[in-house]
Amino acid sequence: MIKFTEKAPYSPVEYVYDVEDILYKGKSQFQEIMVIKNPHFGKMLILDEVVQITERDEFFYHEMLTHVALHAHPDPKKVIVIGGGDGGIVREVLKHKTIEKIYFVEIDEEVINVSRKFFPTVSSGVDDPRVEIKVMDGADFVKKAKAADIDAVIIDSTDIIGFARSLFTAEFFTAVRDCLSEGGMFVTHTESLHFHKDMVIELQEALKVIFPVVDLYTASIATYPGNWWVFAIASKGPSPREVRQPFQIETKYYSDEIHMQSFMPRGMYDRLMQRKLMW
Amino acid sequence: MLKSFKVEKYHAGLVSRATLFKALQYLDRAKIETPFLLIDSEKVREKASLMGRHISNAKLFYAVKANPDIKVIKFMNKLKAGFEIASEGELELLSSIGVDASRIISSNPVKTFKFLKIAASYGVDQFAFDSMDEVDKLVKYIPRSRVYVRLSVPNEGSEWPLSKKFGVELDQALDLLLYARERGLRPVGITFHVGSQCTNVYNWNIALDKARSLWDMARNRGLELRMLNIGGGYPINYTKNVVGIETIEKSINKLIYERFPHDIDIYMEPGRAVVGDAGIFVTKVIGKAKRDDQEWLYIDVGVFNGLMESVGGIKYSYIVEDSGQTRSKRLWTLAGPSCDSFDVIDKNVLLPDTEVGRIMLILSSGAYTISYASEFNGFSIPKTVLI
Repeated sequence: MIKFTEKAPYSPVEYVYDVEDILYKGKSQFQEIMVIKNPHFGKMLILDEVVQITERDEFFYHEMLTHVALHAHPDPKKVIVIGGGDGGIVREVLKHKTIEKIYFVEIDEEVINVSRKFFPTVSSGVDDPRVEIKVMDGADFVKKAKAADIDAVIIDSTDIIGFARSLFTAEFFTAVRDCLSEGGMFVTHTESLHFHKDMVIELQEALKVIFPVVDLYTASIATYPGNWWVFAIASKGPSPREVRQPFQIETKYYSDEIHMQSFMPRGMYDRLMQRKLMW
Repeated sequence: MLKSFKVEKYHAGLVSRATLFKALQYLDRAKIETPFLLIDSEKVREKASLMGRHISNAKLFYAVKANPDIKVIKFMNKLKAGFEIASEGELELLSSIGVDASRIISSNPVKTFKFLKIAASYGVDQFAFDSMDEVDKLVKYIPRSRVYVRLSVPNEGSEWPLSKKFGVELDQALDLLLYARERGLRPVGITFHVGSQCTNVYNWNIALDKARSLWDMARNRGLELRMLNIGGGYPINYTKNVVGIETIEKSINKLIYERFPHDIDIYMEPGRAVVGDAGIFVTKVIGKAKRDDQEWLYIDVGVFNGLMESVGGIKYSYIVEDSGQTRSKRLWTLAGPSCDSFDVIDKNVLLPDTEVGRIMLILSSGAYTISYASEFNGFSIPKTVLI
């Protein structure tokens, strides 16, 4: 069987996957898009040689990136999803009955199209009438959002240094803060706590300049190098650790219980930020 | 316009994502006037804390010449490091922030009169030497100073060899130690330098064997030494991964343990290993030309205003600003901004095609860059920014 070796530049390990079939290989204006089939994980979406999602375990990442923010908010109505062209985050957001509007901002339309074709169970929500698809740079979209009425901004992007960079600048964080409602939540992924602790800290510090409340929670993602994945979450006041609405949606992994235990104990968080965790 | 950079696998081994993230945050914020040197303070802290961690009784003396920027010096001072200096200028830097004389040593075997005068008044009293004339100078200026003799050791495998200029062989070293004692100085130890950017771990074996011989020879003449200064030489990653500091130190520690009394002081003087890979030079592409079949790329930093070591064989790694389009890679001859034809940084550098005006980052450029820079041709010395 042929193999696919992942090329995540900053990973100290390399993941190699069996390839049953190459279902799609193409180049968009921004990146190389590939869909392969693996005996264990099923279909896998690969961008610029880095695994994004697999059919088998995508829900861990999508549920955890979405529901912590949306349960920390008592009544989320309007949400901006940036990136995540596969549609997984949109699908999860739509599980909340209170949702009236999702701005789904993806810079690369090709990813949406490929997902519609190869990952129908992931992209199932993207054509819902409450979803408005915007093909553009998420940073430009947020900058133009005038009213502070967004209840959550969720970033599901590729690499922090590469072309997703506009989503990790102080200017962007400021624009996000200004478009959020009082109880609004901002969440973005930040790499592995095993391999890139220094990056996790830098991003927390960068967010703290802009947001009064910044925190992080983790989940274990099998196909991301370093596995112990960190999500940075920020708000204008309310702590994201609290669950502010009853847990009623259907999920495979996330629950109110998981919500509480996914955050770092305070003492450990402080030690992390003081760079006292030595690994 | 937001700047983005395509980081490739081989860059990732040279610069951490956190350092790059911080650097890019800085580039977003500030009005950029290239060239300048960014130093990631966290990286310096991390590297400094590694120095001597695996060597018993090790004391760190930061080699100021590697990067004497006052912000770097202050930062090292906060980390409670000692300092190794060679001149009145470097001493002035340290005195300006009140570094205690007990934390300062000078391992330059041939010192200027002016430096000795000022060092004497400041109270510095630990010096390297490798000649009788130097002993006589020290007797005159700092009569009771503690001195250590510089042994010559092989520098094969280091990219910046040093030994030919300084250091003496065993018999002469012994004579010098005895002469220093006779003249009233306090001979306390031995030093050597395996060469800067030393990737040949075996050099330390030879050096420590030689130092051990001298140690015994001194003892036989009634001279009890108590300090071994192992100099610097730890390598950093410029274009490829080199042996890790931990590996080198564990090997050195074992060699010392087997050869020397276990309660002696071990001094170390790293410079490059502390600040080298914490530095990113931010430069700009100022010209492109095709001459015969050679493609030339001109940037605003060159051999004279920061990249002096490229002449001696140090090869840097570069990240070119992404122009948003995929561009093919080509081999470039990379040159600096001055009119001198000597100002060629490197040849056959594989880089994506780029445009004049784009930013180019030079990795692992924190050491021996600004400290070598001159104002030749009117180009000012680049500033250092600590982030």
